[in-house]
Amino acid sequence: MNTAFSSLTHFVALLFFAVVVSITFAFLSKKGTIERLKYSLWAFLAFLLVAVGIGWLMYPFSQ
Amino acid sequence: MNERATSVDETMSPGAAKGSQTMGVAAAIAGWIVPGLGHLILRRWSKAAIYFLCVGALACAGLAMRGGVFASGAEDLFDRLGFFADLGAGVFYFLAHQFQAAGPDVAHATGDYGTRLFAAAGMLNLLTVLEAYEIGRGGEPK
Repeated sequence: MNTAFSSLTHFVALLFFAVVVSITFAFLSKKGTIERLKYSLWAFLAFLLVAVGIGWLMYPFSQ
Repeated sequence: MNERATSVDETMSPGAAKGSQTMGVAAAIAGWIVPGLGHLILRRWSKAAIYFLCVGALACAGLAMRGGVFASGAEDLFDRLGFFADLGAGVFYFLAHQFQAAGPDVAHATGDYGTRLFAAAGMLNLLTVLEAYEIGRGGEPK
């Protein structure tokens, strides 16, 4: 278990975080399977988009 | 009303107890100690399972990545905030040292991600605790 997780990249860790938190948020805030599925997907994509967007915004400062 | 009847409580048995302050506090404490247990007491079966799996997955991943777990009594404000976030994970916080035999390794990036994942697990569990309290005292959350 340690070896599998010790080689995770930042992006894979982000994907894992986004999936788990999106599902939990959907169960916290929505009722019904379809609503929860839609919200999970929306929240997951939003996490991904914001993370990639912030990454691009910070890129010039890494030079 | 119909929407609620058909969708929410597919997970709740018809004989579920009526809410009270005591029930809310008991569910909140149980949910803090073991993620999902508060909802289990309140007979929200699917929520209990999902919360346990999600909080547990984040916490175990954080520990497997050799993330740091903040101790009580830290001098630094951010370390104290980290302690309260970690503490939210309940049993995963108290058993962290058993899960993580090799200890934390935050010198590497993966260990740093693990620290954040474990803190996120704690914060997520605190949200589920608030929901368990709300359901337990009789107010169905929106």
